[in-house]
Amino acid sequence: MSNPDSVPDLTPPDSERQKPFDTNEIDDEDGNDGDENDVEDDDEDEDGNDGVFRGPNRPKPQSREARFRSGKLKMESLLQRMKTGPVSVRVHDVIIKGNTKTKDHIIEAETELLNNVGSMQELLKASQIVNLRLQALEIFDSVKITLDSGPPELPGTANVIIEVVETANPLSGQIAAFTKAEARYSTVEGSLKYKNLFGYGDLWDGSLAYGYDHSTELSAGLYLPRFKGLVTPVTARAYLLSQDWLKFSSYKEQSMGLSLGLFSSEHHDVAYNIAWRTLTDPSQMASRFVRRQLGHNLLSSLKYTFKVDRRNSPMRPTRGYAFVSTTQLGGLVPDNRSLRFLRQEFDLRYAVPLGFYRAALNFGVSGGVVFPWGNGFSSKPSSLPERFFLGGNISPVCALGGPTTLWGFKTRGLGPTEPRRHVNDGTADPSGVDFLGGDLAFTALADLSFDLPFRWFREKGIHAHVFACAGNVAKLTENEYRNFSVQKFVESLRSSVGVGLVVPTSFFRMELNYCYIVKKFDHDRAKTGVRLTFFAAP
Amino acid sequence: MAQVGERESEEFTLVTTKPYFDLPTACPLCLPLFIYLKLAHFPFSLSFNSIFPDSDQIPYVESGTYVAYNNENGGVIENLKRDGIVDLDSEFLSVPDWVAMKAMISSWLADAMMYELWVGSDGKSACKIYYSDLSWPIGKVLFLKQVYNIKQRLGITKDNAEQMEDEIYKRAEIAYGALSTRLGDQNFLFDDRPSSLDATFLGHVLVTLHALPETSVLRSKLLEHGNVVRYAEKHRTELIESSSSSSGPQFRSVPSSSTPKRGSKPKSQPKREKTEGEKTFKRRARYFLAAQLLAVLLFLSLMGGNDAGDMELDDEDEGNAFD
Repeated sequence: MSNPDSVPDLTPPDSERQKPFDTNEIDDEDGNDGDENDVEDDDEDEDGNDGVFRGPNRPKPQSREARFRSGKLKMESLLQRMKTGPVSVRVHDVIIKGNTKTKDHIIEAETELLNNVGSMQELLKASQIVNLRLQALEIFDSVKITLDSGPPELPGTANVIIEVVETANPLSGQIAAFTKAEARYSTVEGSLKYKNLFGYGDLWDGSLAYGYDHSTELSAGLYLPRFKGLVTPVTARAYLLSQDWLKFSSYKEQSMGLSLGLFSSEHHDVAYNIAWRTLTDPSQMASRFVRRQLGHNLLSSLKYTFKVDRRNSPMRPTRGYAFVSTTQLGGLVPDNRSLRFLRQEFDLRYAVPLGFYRAALNFGVSGGVVFPWGNGFSSKPSSLPERFFLGGNISPVCALGGPTTLWGFKTRGLGPTEPRRHVNDGTADPSGVDFLGGDLAFTALADLSFDLPFRWFREKGIHAHVFACAGNVAKLTENEYRNFSVQKFVESLRSSVGVGLVVPTSFFRMELNYCYIVKKFDHDRAKTGVRLTFFAAP
Repeated sequence: MAQVGERESEEFTLVTTKPYFDLPTACPLCLPLFIYLKLAHFPFSLSFNSIFPDSDQIPYVESGTYVAYNNENGGVIENLKRDGIVDLDSEFLSVPDWVAMKAMISSWLADAMMYELWVGSDGKSACKIYYSDLSWPIGKVLFLKQVYNIKQRLGITKDNAEQMEDEIYKRAEIAYGALSTRLGDQNFLFDDRPSSLDATFLGHVLVTLHALPETSVLRSKLLEHGNVVRYAEKHRTELIESSSSSSGPQFRSVPSSSTPKRGSKPKSQPKREKTEGEKTFKRRARYFLAAQLLAVLLFLSLMGGNDAGDMELDDEDEGNAFD
């Protein structure tokens, strides 16, 4: 639909009058529906708005071919002028057509940069940007921008005519798969979207998502591109989330909440979340620490994410760097009974190309810490769901967003544990433990990826990699920080190495790896052997 | 008198709702267990859960990896008897009045307490006992949910509300009369020795006297039986106030476990074996299906021509163009 050509399309003109910016006119009457940027020269512009070029006393129009030739000459001369230097023009008026439901100010807000152009070149570029922005609102089936000359009494001006066609069918649906780094698992989501219900560019959606680790989320969201003069779009999402961690930590988590995206730009994101969260243990087998955590909590938190991703590809980074820092402050209500914590995590990646076989070295370092705040914070435990858990089946190379996983270690497969309840009926499993996660987590990885020397593999993008990683989690709360030492932490780092095949498909990136566990501790759930990991870009 | 089972040297901990109204715990389900352990001179420490009021696991007793939940096997007291930890009732089971008294306390008095705490009075006492450590919106919703549940359980509807209330109070009155007669001037209900019924009855009486408001109908009915009031206050002084000065219960507000209403035992032996085999089968079936789906997706992606890498590069370039 969008075709941002830098050179405007030519169609036969039907006027030869010279204008200050000396453009050739493009006749739209022949119906060039596919063109996005048409340059028109309206010589007789008593009305000046609709691309009709005939005046009241015009002689008989020339033949079509002659018009075409003359228009082509004019366009070439305009382009020549534009090549040598800026052709000065400014925008007099922006005219919006075709919006029956959408409010004018929504479209006008996206066209503000047209007001600042000073030359033809800038105007063309700005028109492309405005076109893309309007397309990005997702509420129009097509967007056509026409440049017309301004009123004759104001030379050197242009009018910009924006014609939009609103979506005929506002309801759409999709099924997608992606990996949520925070949640450490892959998700399949089905969603329905309703566009532009109230004419404010509002996008409503309802979705049902099912995660690999038995989590289910039902949510409804709203996206508002312009809300009361705020610079960035506002999103609101109400959700019902259920996560099942019974197998790993003997608890189930149910949340009902509302999250508001307050500010979002390329590098910064601020979101507020308020939720009622309940932890339960239907199995009645939880360990002592988990039993103490079960119950209801009010979560009210503000989350700030700073992200810079200059890698050339999130699926196979071979060059560039990325940095993500996430800060979350919980307990933002005057009520001191809500959950109060401060969580900080960061992730740094660097990819170095090696120049042969498309090889690249990827380094990554990530860490995180969580701590409660308020009276007596050092002796209070941190909340289980906020802690850091390492392990899972997502690819550490791709997943950006704090310390999440190590190759070879299963979901929540390492860190502090506590024995589960022992039931005296003779068949009790004495080795049952709950993984409690940690307040401090650290991971580091190194990955060398390279193409295989077979053409078929190269064509499909299948390549190999050799990797090594290390990580650890430790408890700091409940006065454990007094016993913490960096040396002990480093000595108890778990690590693994391995080699594998990476298969990138259009849906996800799959790795088939052979992992060798170099160091693990007694209760860690890790095994040397073949493992599959996945990553799907959100 | 009391049989203390052979356990490791790990201390026993009783987890209840938090203290209120000058009682170590003001919840009518938790206080009887506290009193029972005290009557048995069983050493334990106290811990609190103030964020899971709607749990039916609380109160529970734990020691190391051993836990006796309230929603298993008829309650914590029965669990402790069964596991040979504490048993005050071994000599009373053959007493003729025992079963009748037990039925009266565990049905009529229990219902009356539930009714009065949640429906009969203004609910303020219940909110203080159960929701004082929860944020207001959560507490409010849980309170309304609990009131609805109690009404369902007692069969109270708009039409029969008054009638049901009369019936509940009448039964409570009969129960008080019978228990007062049974008690007389003794220290305990049976043979002047403590039993689990004493613990349960004392728990009910103390909550009624101290936690319910003075306008409470149930409370006023109880006050008519002076010997019961004296019996309760005497034991309160001996058991509760003396214990708080000596061992000092830990007033930690720690969350405890709970489950929404579940059945009794989590698993029984034959069931677990069967479930294990089924689970393995289901897991293998899931892996098989997942492998099939993966193979199909891979085939479609790879054989259909994979331009994912190139497409990403294009996106990157486009994105950068407008920086």
